[in-house]
Amino acid sequence: MNNNEILLKVENLKVWFEIRKTIISQPLYVKAVDGVNFELKKGETISLVGESGSGKTTLGRTILRLYEPTDGKILFEDKDITNLPFKELNWYRKETGFVQQDPFGALAPHFSVYRILEEPLIINKIGTPESRKEMIIKALEEVKLTPVSDFINKYPHMLSGGQMQRVVIARALIMKPKLIVADEPVSMLDASVRIEILDLLRDIQMNHNMSLIYITHDLATVRAFSDWIFIMYAGNLVERAKTDELLSNPLHPYTKALLSAIPDPDPSNRFKLREVPPGEPPNLINPPEGCRFHPRCSFAMEICKKEEPKEINIAKDHWVKCWLYKEG
Amino acid sequence: MADVVLKLENFSVSYKTQKGSLEAVRNVSFELKEGETLAIVGESGCGKSSLARGILRLFPRNLEKTSGKIYLDGEDILSLKEDNFRKNILWSKISMVFQGAMNSLNPVLKVVYQVAEPLIVHMGMDKDSAFKRAKEMLSLVGISESFAERYPFELSGGMKQRVVIAMALVTHPKVVILDEPTSALDVITQANILNLLKVLKKELNLTYIFITHDIATTSELADKVAVMYAGEIVELSPAENFYNSPAHGYTMMLLNSVPTLKTTKKLKSIPGSPPSLISPPKGCRFHPRCQYVMDICREKEPPMFKKGEEHFAKCYIGESHE
Ligand SMILES: Nc1ncnc2c1ncn2[C@@H]1O[C@H](COP(=O)(O)OP(=O)(O)OP(=O)(O)O)[C@@H](O)[C@H]1O
Ligand SMILES: Nc1ncnc2c1ncn2[C@@H]1O[C@H](COP(=O)(O)OP(=O)(O)OP(=O)(O)O)[C@@H](O)[C@H]1O
Ligand code: SF4
Ligand code: SF4
Ligand SMILES: [Mg+2]
Ligand SMILES: [Mg+2]
Repeated sequence: MNNNEILLKVENLKVWFEIRKTIISQPLYVKAVDGVNFELKKGETISLVGESGSGKTTLGRTILRLYEPTDGKILFEDKDITNLPFKELNWYRKETGFVQQDPFGALAPHFSVYRILEEPLIINKIGTPESRKEMIIKALEEVKLTPVSDFINKYPHMLSGGQMQRVVIARALIMKPKLIVADEPVSMLDASVRIEILDLLRDIQMNHNMSLIYITHDLATVRAFSDWIFIMYAGNLVERAKTDELLSNPLHPYTKALLSAIPDPDPSNRFKLREVPPGEPPNLINPPEGCRFHPRCSFAMEICKKEEPKEINIAKDHWVKCWLYKEG
Repeated sequence: MADVVLKLENFSVSYKTQKGSLEAVRNVSFELKEGETLAIVGESGCGKSSLARGILRLFPRNLEKTSGKIYLDGEDILSLKEDNFRKNILWSKISMVFQGAMNSLNPVLKVVYQVAEPLIVHMGMDKDSAFKRAKEMLSLVGISESFAERYPFELSGGMKQRVVIAMALVTHPKVVILDEPTSALDVITQANILNLLKVLKKELNLTYIFITHDIATTSELADKVAVMYAGEIVELSPAENFYNSPAHGYTMMLLNSVPTLKTTKKLKSIPGSPPSLISPPKGCRFHPRCQYVMDICREKEPPMFKKGEEHFAKCYIGESHE
């Protein structure tokens, strides 16, 4: 297996949502993803981290072509899939898997866990009823929904939040796709199960040379888990680097603020308020001119208010989009 | 000393399933004083949401039975008739922010309507006063007048969570149950929301039950911590003891599995998987996974031992027993 092969290439990707307040009013655009570039190699994991509402889910869904891109390019194994019509995407659905962010809406309410997991196998004509049953039991064991017999006939409303999340993960893994986008796959799980499930994802991923885009708010788990960290703010990737590099040498002011906001358990925390950057994240319909972080940035300079910084390659495997830094 | 607002005595909830009765909450007892915050932590599926929903009587259709007592300001509310409970307790005295609620805001309704809805639907308030109160509440949680008129998709994740919090507070309840209120947010937004909850708690003298699986955020609010395992509260203690002198085998192992960015310690996940709630293990329910297990743990269910001032745990560690 060639581990340097590029699986996915994203160029200047934009995803804008059109909204109209009333039928006759001018359309407005929510610029949820606004000019994103990166490459993902086979077998690699990217952790995509960032502000709530910065466009992580939109980026993930667009890569899977669950959303239509507005502009830019998506190449999967060198095939341009940017504008393939939905009905020509069946092969791509088989190659990719998606773990949705909100498990409460992700599972068909009138399907049992068994049926939920069998569905993709049936659609893709995989196995016999008996071999499918084996696969399903194995998948449930892998995500620790055990004893399997307690869960296999349950309906989604009979599961806890974290249990639903694991069914969603099992469903994405059962097809052994080449690329998985896992959107907050373990946000409802406690630390112990979380690590186990992430280890599991990591194992399956390595065994099958899968690539993974792991969207998360949990910076504490990314160190052990990913090759790359991408930081997203207001529709842009503001910094991306190899995991150790980013954690030991964060450059973008937003990245620094994010890293320093990670809470440490200490029972005296409850007596004080936390320090956070002032202001709210920007409105993506009319994002701030220049650098989108400038209204909240304590390093902001004149140029930051007027001109958008370019993404520069500051060191090997390290890019940043900020006027504080120069190429090379 | 503040009064006890909420008191649970041996509260249990069970569901009917194909394989028999599933006891999601078993003999839960605790007391909360006015202005106090109780955090409930525990593994996925251990019964946290069932406990919370049970207090509010928001049961699924396959409820089998509940038992025990729940007192609010000294009044036994579990024995109240359904309509009386809905009219006088639910939302008006105890309200809740549901797990995942910010993603289930109605996409085609302006947020101010959604915040006003509990007042109109549950409390029979007229529309104008309800909107007025909703706007006040939104501004209290940091959402300005202009955002009140917007739709959910126009708000950031943190703002949506503020809206959901405003919905729970708009009826001026005494007790608010928060089920994983920050687990979907980035750490900066999370810190913002926790700050907001701290301020509101002080200003409105709120009593919180704060459900989370995140040990670090627990420390941001909790005065007391209840650790749940397999439907039971296995340890109840002041927050300081929870972090510094845990007394139950599960709590000790849980604290060892918590990652922090600042350390690179090797994390130890807890081996095995959560027990079946339909046929839970005998003796201590945690014994098949406990690294401190003793013979007695396999045989005899541990009682709640007193481990210190206001500190209780169902665990034999440190106890002499025959
Ligand atoms: N279908 C849609 N129509 C209009 N706006 C949308 C739509 N979907 C998302 N948005 C907006 O696009 C922006 C990015 O949303 P997205 O869900 O991608 O963010 P996110 O980074 O995943 O956030 P979170 O961390 O809260 O999950 C948000 O401002 C959101 O309100
Ligand atoms: N309606 C139901 N019927 C049968 N079993 C149920 C039902 N609702 C929940 N359960 C089971 O009861 C147990 C407790 O569920 P609950 O939702 O209270 O867990 P939780 O502690 O909130 O978990 P999480 O952290 O994952 O949200 C779980 O094992 C779940 O599968
Ligand atoms: S470009 Fe300017 S405003 Fe933006 S992050 Fe860098 S210093 Fe701050
Ligand atoms: S009672 Fe025994 S098995 Fe249970 S937690 Fe304590 S030491 Fe472990
Ligand atoms: Mg998202
Ligand atoms: Mg829950």
